[in-house]
Amino acid sequence: MLSALWTSFCAALLELDNVQAGQFLLARPAFVGTLLGWMNGCPVEGARIGLLTELVFLDFMSVGGVVPPNGLVSAAVSVLAFSWGGLPESAAFFSGMLAGLIYCGVEYRLRAFRSSWTAAVEAEVRAGVIRPGRRLAAALLAEGAVSWAFIFLFSGWLASAAALSARLNMGPLFGALDLAYSLMPWLGLSGLYFRFRGQIHKNKAGA
Amino acid sequence: MTKAGSCQPPSGGKALAPVFFRSFLLQAAWNYERFQNLGFVFSMLPALRRAHAPGAPLNSAVLRHLAQFNTQPYMAGFVMGNIIRMEESVSGLPVDEAMEKKMLSVKTALASGFAAIGDRLFWGRLKPLMTQLCVLVWACGGFYGWLFRPSAGTVPAPSMALLFGGPLAGMAVYASFSVYLRWTGLKRGYACGGSSSCGLDAFDWPRLIRRLSAAGFALAAAAALSAFAFLLFSSWSGAPDPGFARKVAPVLAALAIQRAARKSGRSIFFATGMVIAVSLALVALFGPEGWAWNRNL
Repeated sequence: MLSALWTSFCAALLELDNVQAGQFLLARPAFVGTLLGWMNGCPVEGARIGLLTELVFLDFMSVGGVVPPNGLVSAAVSVLAFSWGGLPESAAFFSGMLAGLIYCGVEYRLRAFRSSWTAAVEAEVRAGVIRPGRRLAAALLAEGAVSWAFIFLFSGWLASAAALSARLNMGPLFGALDLAYSLMPWLGLSGLYFRFRGQIHKNKAGA
Repeated sequence: MTKAGSCQPPSGGKALAPVFFRSFLLQAAWNYERFQNLGFVFSMLPALRRAHAPGAPLNSAVLRHLAQFNTQPYMAGFVMGNIIRMEESVSGLPVDEAMEKKMLSVKTALASGFAAIGDRLFWGRLKPLMTQLCVLVWACGGFYGWLFRPSAGTVPAPSMALLFGGPLAGMAVYASFSVYLRWTGLKRGYACGGSSSCGLDAFDWPRLIRRLSAAGFALAAAAALSAFAFLLFSSWSGAPDPGFARKVAPVLAALAIQRAARKSGRSIFFATGMVIAVSLALVALFGPEGWAWNRNL
């Protein structure tokens, strides 16, 4: 439990780099998966989960105001579901994908919540108080706390579900997920290929 | 020349360093109403404080920049440098409506232009290229565990340096380039401040983008082909074998699903869902045993 809390906390810190602070690519799933996997004694599985998550989530771009599914949350939940929850790697990976998809709704609400801040800052400035840094700090704290709680609770829920379902015959389901998981590198690689091929065609058409 | 009030003379670029460091938090308070406006004001504050006297001039400058702002974060420096120069040019002077409008129109025009370039450059090319770099580093180090899952004990475990080296290599390249562009953008923007095309010709963007696309395509094709060749060679036992088709067919099916999903404009999540559905059907029809082939290549 303590290790899961600590892992979620590290993931939440790295999540800040995803959009809000720095954007040095520290939040890339390949790195997060490897790091969290190493912290939990499963670096190879973490690296594999991370890279596959990255390959899948590359399909989405954070252009304009679009909130794409969150690759970091997905990788973190996957690693925790595997190492802490005891789920098979394949089931942990797909559960993580679901978490990354759901987190987009959370992120959307956080951004929507911040929309009211401009009016408040304007009122402060008119009154002679210029401290936008406080709002930024609050935004970073809120994002960190929410992502920490989300990753920990989602992973905890998966761990509980895995424990409860231990008496059920999950073999066929896990077998199918294993097969699907073994095909994910091919989906990811072909996704990259088709993406760049599309760009080359567009360049030719534009030239 | 000292400006009216207690503000300082034109910075000559001295205000750029604090703005540069603060610009890493440009998106910290991203919101749907005015996007990056709070981060923009926070980043620009040292320069605005330098250009305008405290009180009404500074307040009105801050309010001016609380307007809507949205651009690609790594390219924001070009806009910021430009606006710093414009703010310094009106330092100590009453800012009339025409000047304010000009400043905002230059800011909006540059933000849109650089957003288009930055999205194509960073999100569209560099980010996927860094994933390929990770794959390349791992492949060079002999780690293929992301592609095939070997049975326990059949392949030596990769070193931690190799596992971390893959993602870190991409991060180093990406972060260096993005930080360089942030700083260069700030300096170039400051140097040519006042023009709505300022900095857009700082680099040959179309050529850079074309080259990155070509490199990405070459790497993606090489990775996909070599992975497929590896699958074929490792699956082929030297004689006609019914197991061979079972090893290769699901991969071909996954590629076909991905192609169909792309053609119909669906995301990779749709393709993933289809792959899970097909896997469930196969396991339901033929049982869960016998699909572990992929682990033992």
